[in-house]
Amino acid sequence: MGIPEIEDAKCLLCFGYNGADSHPIVARRIVRGRQKGMKIICADPRVTETARISDIHLQLKGGSNLALVNAMANVIWKEGLADEKFIQEHTKGFDEFLKVIENYTPEYAAEISQVPAETIRQAARMYATNKPAMILYGMGVCQFSQAVDVVKGLANLALMTGNFGGPSMGIGPVRGQNNVQGACDMGALPNSYPGYQSVTDPASREKFEKAWGVPLPDKVGCPITHVPYRILQEKEERKRIHAYYIFGEDPAQSDPDLAEVREALDKCDFVIMQDIYMNKTGLHADVILPATAWGENEGVYTCADRGFQRVRKVVEPEGDLKPDWQIIAEISTAMGYPMNYKNTEEIWNELIDLCPSFTGATYEKIEKYGSVQWPCRDKSMEDKGTPYLHKDGIFATKDHKALFYGTDWHPPLEMENEEYPMSLSTVREVGHYSVRTMTGNCRTLRNLEDEPGWVQISPQDCQKLKIQKGELVKVLSKRGYCISRCLPTERVKPGAVYMTYQWWIGSCNELTIAHLDPISNTPEYKYCACRVEKIQDQEWAERHVKEMYNDIRTQMGIQPGKGARS
Amino acid sequence: MALKQVQTTCPYCGAGCQIMFTVDADANKIVEAVPADGRTNEGTLCLKGHYGWDYLNDPQILTKRLRKPMIRKGGKKSPLVEVSWDEAISYVAEKLTEIKGKYGPDSIMGTGSARGAGNEANYLMQKFMRACIGTNNVDHCARI
Repeated sequence: MGIPEIEDAKCLLCFGYNGADSHPIVARRIVRGRQKGMKIICADPRVTETARISDIHLQLKGGSNLALVNAMANVIWKEGLADEKFIQEHTKGFDEFLKVIENYTPEYAAEISQVPAETIRQAARMYATNKPAMILYGMGVCQFSQAVDVVKGLANLALMTGNFGGPSMGIGPVRGQNNVQGACDMGALPNSYPGYQSVTDPASREKFEKAWGVPLPDKVGCPITHVPYRILQEKEERKRIHAYYIFGEDPAQSDPDLAEVREALDKCDFVIMQDIYMNKTGLHADVILPATAWGENEGVYTCADRGFQRVRKVVEPEGDLKPDWQIIAEISTAMGYPMNYKNTEEIWNELIDLCPSFTGATYEKIEKYGSVQWPCRDKSMEDKGTPYLHKDGIFATKDHKALFYGTDWHPPLEMENEEYPMSLSTVREVGHYSVRTMTGNCRTLRNLEDEPGWVQISPQDCQKLKIQKGELVKVLSKRGYCISRCLPTERVKPGAVYMTYQWWIGSCNELTIAHLDPISNTPEYKYCACRVEKIQDQEWAERHVKEMYNDIRTQMGIQPGKGARS
Repeated sequence: MALKQVQTTCPYCGAGCQIMFTVDADANKIVEAVPADGRTNEGTLCLKGHYGWDYLNDPQILTKRLRKPMIRKGGKKSPLVEVSWDEAISYVAEKLTEIKGKYGPDSIMGTGSARGAGNEANYLMQKFMRACIGTNNVDHCARI
């Protein structure tokens, strides 16, 4: 399915996905769908913009996703709303799945999720009886220690209602970054070569060994979220990470438990940073390699719905910069593995021939059609790509059948307790992007929000803590603390607070926990225990925030008085 | 003033919106950004699409653009010193070769980038880690 089809669904289940803040253009499709009569079910602990225009808002307690999803499956089955023909013809494992969901009555799920049983029933009926129904999910599903199970749980709903393989149906993760799909497509993953060909599959390995002319390792590599452990705690000498080549990432701002990340970077023998702007990671890097930015280089991105699109040079780079691909090629050549490419198209041509799903997507074709969704297998101009991945219910398994996968719900790792009685979840800011080295350096965007950010908290909790809008407050967890401004809002329920992660001072990743989903290795950014404290001396706090901010800028070598802040 | 127009894909979220830029080629500056008719955006843009390119002008509001390769010559915590590309590339190559020799290929970790660099640079990064270093230790922020 593709982004344009969202508005033509009869029903949208929007789960842990806040389009208005993270993808405004996708959110427009949701609004347009609403105008066309689409039913909307929104599962989110906050009253998001989607929740405001939804027919049913499942305002669940954070960390209860799978209980709610399983209960919806339970209702669909018990009330005879499942598409038994589709289940029979296109799937496997339904009976085992039924055994799991049997226990998830709406009443049981209501206890866990705080959503009334009758509301769960209504949501399940609405989803199952308005076809085509589409599911969109976001980080509110993925950033839990039980994440992959929930993605599979949502896929179960689509499977049991026959919502796969046609227009405006299926299940879609809406990708947070411009090229997160592309980095996966290209095999920047520890378990797969480009085109999702497994490093443990001997035939794939042999193919890449032949193409690249060297023997290749057969063991799955280290996921990025294991790096602090592999630097600080790994006992086996040959598995300990001694060098870390960081390319276009800022782990010292974006990763959970920042105190641990900083310690790891400082204890790692050799840290290379390749980036466009100085950032928090740069304060710990041994070498900095300056690269051209978007707007100064050529290439291809893959957007969230598998569409390859061209990026083009808009302005000439100023300074002693090189494109990322050229820097990598020069290091490789200097290490005795020559890489000689004249331009990005040469690299592209090499890689599409190694990936059957991408082979047909030539530069010429992407130029002509503007966007080509993979799989695109044939180089002829007639193969324009594939809008529906599982067209007509034919799945990418050996027997073309989809597999039901039922698991039990479990709570997040760090629950509220006496010392830290509230829960913290990280969320997105509409005007800022990731670690904000880009948007924070855009004059119009930085005016929307600035340091030290906000902590969203219910008016009831504000009253209890005697804090008011705009006041600086201290937010603490077992791992660290930061200072941010109090934002009382009816959008959140008592007991839970929400912060965005791009601020240097209001840096909520000082608090977050590096506990991971066992399959995806994604951290539980959406749940840890925290406490909010009033700061009595506000004048001191305001001064302290400014001093800390200026201190970081000085460490980064920015001259005092430079920039719009002065 | 020589004006030119360039269409490209937005660098922010995964929606893949198309933007049409008007550029003053003599001054090497963007004059205007308007939505183009892409498959996913159909002539619309959000505020990041409209205004999110100003960082190319390096206004140093938050931090500053990196312009020269730099090395901490005196070890950890010492100041960064500007060097030539030749020196930076040989330094990186020597250090990585030394670490690989001493502790093996799995002692080196590399990342891809889900942002501006694009697919080709990600392909080369994983090829470098796998074929030149000899490890599958390559990953990126998709799981973050």
